[in-house]
Amino acid sequence: MASAASDRGRPPGRTALAGKTPRTTDVPDGARPGLVISELAHLGKLNLRGGDGIVPAVRKHTGCDRLPGNNRTVTVGDRTLVWLAPDEYLLLCEAGQEGHLHSQLMIDLASVHAATTNVTDALCAISLRGPAVRQVLTKGCAIDLHPSVFTAGMCAQTMLSHAAVTLIAGESDRFTLICRTSFAAYVHDWLMDAGLEYGASFRG
Amino acid sequence: MLLITCPHCGPREESEFSCGGEAHIARPLAENGLTDAQFADYLFLRDNPKGLFLERWRHTAGCRRWFNVARDTVTHEIVEFYPMGSTPKSKAGKAAHAESWRRDTAAEAAARPAPKSRAKQGVGS
Repeated sequence: MASAASDRGRPPGRTALAGKTPRTTDVPDGARPGLVISELAHLGKLNLRGGDGIVPAVRKHTGCDRLPGNNRTVTVGDRTLVWLAPDEYLLLCEAGQEGHLHSQLMIDLASVHAATTNVTDALCAISLRGPAVRQVLTKGCAIDLHPSVFTAGMCAQTMLSHAAVTLIAGESDRFTLICRTSFAAYVHDWLMDAGLEYGASFRG
Repeated sequence: MLLITCPHCGPREESEFSCGGEAHIARPLAENGLTDAQFADYLFLRDNPKGLFLERWRHTAGCRRWFNVARDTVTHEIVEFYPMGSTPKSKAGKAAHAESWRRDTAAEAAARPAPKSRAKQGVGS
């Protein structure tokens, strides 16, 4: 575990999609692209394991008064707690803050049966938006993504065309997709291909 | 493709799950002497019934949690889900558990701690 102080001072490294060139495919009728993809570079990600005993520490550092229920997220300000499994959560925080937050949580959870792991660089976060975002995701994902079912504030760990992903639905059809860093290039290529018929744009 | 309702995540497609095979196979304890043939019942022999089968499943692509499933191998109907470490609650599930040939094996009896009187004999002999 690297010390928090050195993490904070370290310049951010190369991101998972740094090698992909921003581009926009032809949009069918000259309208806006149906899918707009951008990487949420260096978004802080901490894996958090524990039961109700972690609530005080979570409240102190995120402002979330409660842990999210199954398939739900709780967002307060810039920090989001994502339900992954019973006793397992993903904490998203501002880029660059994860090292400090991790060490603070380690201190506050020292007397609780809990674990926190910094997984910022293991996972890649991608922002998806545009009028066709649900149609594109549906091509590679079997969960029900209808706007009346998969509503804002919901999340799901599932497969997107062979890649294990965590889908988080935000307000106004904005999705955050989190996948393994090693799958990020594949997921990007797949999304650009699946979005071709609606027009797809990668903004970097 | 089956639509399986994960007890934690809700309905998901079958490919997200892994089947861990037959459930309720208790490991014999070391202090219980078993013959090789009796130990083979535990280690190698698996049931393959036509009808209700009690299995372990894991939601590999989702919550990554294990749970037990009572599934009909003919119709693929899932009768119930129940947590690891517990036995079925449904009538059909209870019957399948009780009727399994494994309940009568020496290997399963040896998964329970040996009676104290026998243990004393072992020390003395």
